[in-house]
Amino acid sequence: MTTMKKIQRTWKINGESRTVQFPPARRLLDVLREDLDLKGTKEGCGEGECGACTVMINGELAVSCLLAAGQVRDGAEILTVEGLEKTPGGRLIQRSYLEKGAAQCGFCIPGMLVSSYAFLRRHPVVNEESIKDAHAGNICRCTGYVKIIEAVQAAAERWPADEGKPS
Amino acid sequence: MAVQDRVAYRNVGQGIERLDGDEKVRGLAQYADDIPVPDAWYGEVVRSPVAHGRLIRLHFDPAFDFNRVCVVTPPDIPGQNIVDLMGRDMPFIADGEIQYRGEPLALVAAPTRALAREAAAHIKPEIENLPALLTLREVISRYLDGAKDLKELAAQTIVKGDIEQGFAAADRIIEGEYWAGHQEQLYIEPQGMVAIPEPDGGVFIQGSLQCPYYIAPELMITLDLPLEKIRVKQTAVGGAFGGKEEFPTLIAGYCALLALKCGKPVKIIYDRHQDILFTTKRHPVWTRQRTGVKNDGTITAMQVDFVLDGGAYTTLSPVVMYRGILHTTLGYRCPHVSVNGKVYRTNTFPNGAFRGFGAPQAIWGLESHMDEVAAALGMSPEAFRLKNALHLGDTTATGQVIAEPMGTPDVLENNLARSRFAALLRGNSHGIARDGKYHGVGLAFFGHGSGFTGDGESRLKSKAALDLEYLEDGRAGVNIRISSTEMGQGTMTIMPQIAADGLRIAIDQVRMPFPDTKYAPDSGPTVASRTAMVVGGTVFGAAEKLRKALETFAATALFGGEEVELDDNRFTGKLSGTTRGFQEVASAYLKQHGPLRVYNQFKLPETLRWNQKTFEGDSYPSYSWGCNIAEVEIDALTLELTVKKVTACFDIGRLINPVLAMGQVEGGLVQALGYAVMEKIDIKDGLYDASRMQTYVVPTVRDIPVFDIAFIEYPYGHAAPGAKGVGEMPMDGLAPAIANAVKAALGVRINDLPITPEKILKALSAHQPAGASA
Ligand code: FES
Ligand code: FES
Repeated sequence: MTTMKKIQRTWKINGESRTVQFPPARRLLDVLREDLDLKGTKEGCGEGECGACTVMINGELAVSCLLAAGQVRDGAEILTVEGLEKTPGGRLIQRSYLEKGAAQCGFCIPGMLVSSYAFLRRHPVVNEESIKDAHAGNICRCTGYVKIIEAVQAAAERWPADEGKPS
Repeated sequence: MAVQDRVAYRNVGQGIERLDGDEKVRGLAQYADDIPVPDAWYGEVVRSPVAHGRLIRLHFDPAFDFNRVCVVTPPDIPGQNIVDLMGRDMPFIADGEIQYRGEPLALVAAPTRALAREAAAHIKPEIENLPALLTLREVISRYLDGAKDLKELAAQTIVKGDIEQGFAAADRIIEGEYWAGHQEQLYIEPQGMVAIPEPDGGVFIQGSLQCPYYIAPELMITLDLPLEKIRVKQTAVGGAFGGKEEFPTLIAGYCALLALKCGKPVKIIYDRHQDILFTTKRHPVWTRQRTGVKNDGTITAMQVDFVLDGGAYTTLSPVVMYRGILHTTLGYRCPHVSVNGKVYRTNTFPNGAFRGFGAPQAIWGLESHMDEVAAALGMSPEAFRLKNALHLGDTTATGQVIAEPMGTPDVLENNLARSRFAALLRGNSHGIARDGKYHGVGLAFFGHGSGFTGDGESRLKSKAALDLEYLEDGRAGVNIRISSTEMGQGTMTIMPQIAADGLRIAIDQVRMPFPDTKYAPDSGPTVASRTAMVVGGTVFGAAEKLRKALETFAATALFGGEEVELDDNRFTGKLSGTTRGFQEVASAYLKQHGPLRVYNQFKLPETLRWNQKTFEGDSYPSYSWGCNIAEVEIDALTLELTVKKVTACFDIGRLINPVLAMGQVEGGLVQALGYAVMEKIDIKDGLYDASRMQTYVVPTVRDIPVFDIAFIEYPYGHAAPGAKGVGEMPMDGLAPAIANAVKAALGVRINDLPITPEKILKALSAHQPAGASA
């Protein structure tokens, strides 16, 4: 067996500083799920098509199945579904999904929620079109998206003024 | 009756939040790939590269050290090399004749996924090629030529009256043929399973599955183990839609065979390519409808051929075809009916269960055809349907009398009015574009049999148990023990709603743990839109039994013998008016007697009769009803089709949870939209030509139409609380509604799903000389 040189990174994940070592080609998705035991992030396709593995890196959305973990710099801030409940906006969007019945099987939901959160924290103009744009990369096979749109609309109405920043 | 008995329901009928929602939005729900399995090995399948052939031998490359891995070939199978599904014609691992490309030839497990894949790549089959039959098109051209060499996997007819007499009575006979291709379930969580060898020689299987009591008994003959040594537990399931009905027996079997041989837990999680290429799809269909009508629109005869591509082995195809043929004429009054159903073998992956289970294929043909018949008569689509729709007292093709009030024809009338259909018809383009667009509106009306076909429910004797015991959080409460699974549709929420109302206690005293054959009796598979109606009814009955048992206990133990009633979460002495809370009484019971289990078994009314040979009698305990109206727009230049709005009305019996029911309908309609206009997957060189989400395209949030959805409640009268099933209905009727709208827009009919721009172009150019369009 060849011993590959491992990469080491320290990131702020869901508000906590975590250091992790991994082989160079390892996907961020695997580092999150297997090395950091953050199993909320899901793999639906492994090819950037379904959005189930969506996370936020330094405020921007990324599909963690297409990203080599080594590409994420030291000190980066990563948000996964598990981190949502640590912020008022994250809790709000989770609650809103529950109230509207926006989750069914739940497998697309971690990625979907992160997309919703990344969208709302920019304090965007919220209408059906902008919501659709913000979630076009997340495939849900259960809900038909109707209640997801409603949940985002409802959360937007109550979005905390001091969460995120205007884009 | 409906209004009166509603008073008793406190939870049923409420759109309460789903009880498994919190863990889902927090990312804590554990799906198959999330459960911790220490020391797990990873399984891989070595597959046939040819669609039809004879396996001569497997070469194990000497350059690879096979001591590092575990390999299973047919001689390693403890029992019989048979997948115990219908027909028993499918081996677990091919041994001799190979029937489809991708058929397993060997199984491999290794400590890492990479090593398992490497090992699999070093096992090379030597195969003698045989000619392969690959598509339904080839099957049908041979079928119509009267070829005798087709392999028939199943056949069934339905006969009512005398079809020749029916045609003789007709003024006109209208014929049409309708095709539809495969559809992939595309649940977002791929198939996944783990098998853990148990110290007693048994095996513990956990994973993403719909039917624990399919897997356990089906693996008995393969593993040569008694039922009690095969424990099956469901993990959280990331969508299924039928795709996790019978298929998981295969992947569970692969894991179990490997685990029992290597003595380690073995895990198989398919990646998306494997999942699309090597799991079941919706059966492709060819159906021919011949309808005799009088000039006033009365239907006198319906003759239908309904042929499914079964794939390589029998599996569930006969039952899919049965449900299919029962829906090929459903909804309309007709004295003379003749239906001929067939399933033929092709050398492709066996087709299987998918939401609707043959009904969407049947209704696709029927409802496209009903528009053609109406048009031939010069009648409007709605007038023709209203004239022939079943009413109370009418009989279906099998002679079943519509004996209780149902949503036919109410859903049709309601939907026509809500959509202002008559006015919309005036906007149809009929092939002449306005402002660069063609516009059209189309209608479909349909029923869906609730529960198993025929005597399936009475043979199954679905059971439910309720355990009065200490819940996970330490409080006294009630656990619902059924084998019905939660796969997103809401079982884990509606069952506590139903049980709480049967017990008349607060819903937070009731839990539904994940089904586990160690604890739950067999309440049947989670299929056929039967869960809310059949298992819900069984749970409600069990809850009533448990309530009576607790009332009896409370009367003697705590109320000094006076009569006691449990209602609104408390026990009240009928004379004294004294009250005690449910918690107090339940805890007292547990202290004195320990846990209490109450069973109940589903019973159909004695009056139901069914002849499985002739398909005469009551083909379903009841029916749900639906009507879909689709408004479409087609770009005259690009021929891009947009479904702008869908108006839908459904009778699904009593709504247990309106929010969840609406979610089922919205999600199902979007899946039906995909079936109608987007989802395309064909066979190329014996394999599906799409193996990724980039090539198998399903609707995104951008593709959804505006919805206007309504429910009409006609509760099922024979099992409280009276649900009839919602899961499959929304899949049934949107494709023909869209095809009818496309016809109204363009003046040409597309009779082959999915309706893609290429097919529209082809149909248009066949219909009019080049350059003549708008
Ligand atoms: S798993 Fe990353 S986009 Fe599908
Ligand atoms: S809730 Fe199942 S995929 Fe979205």
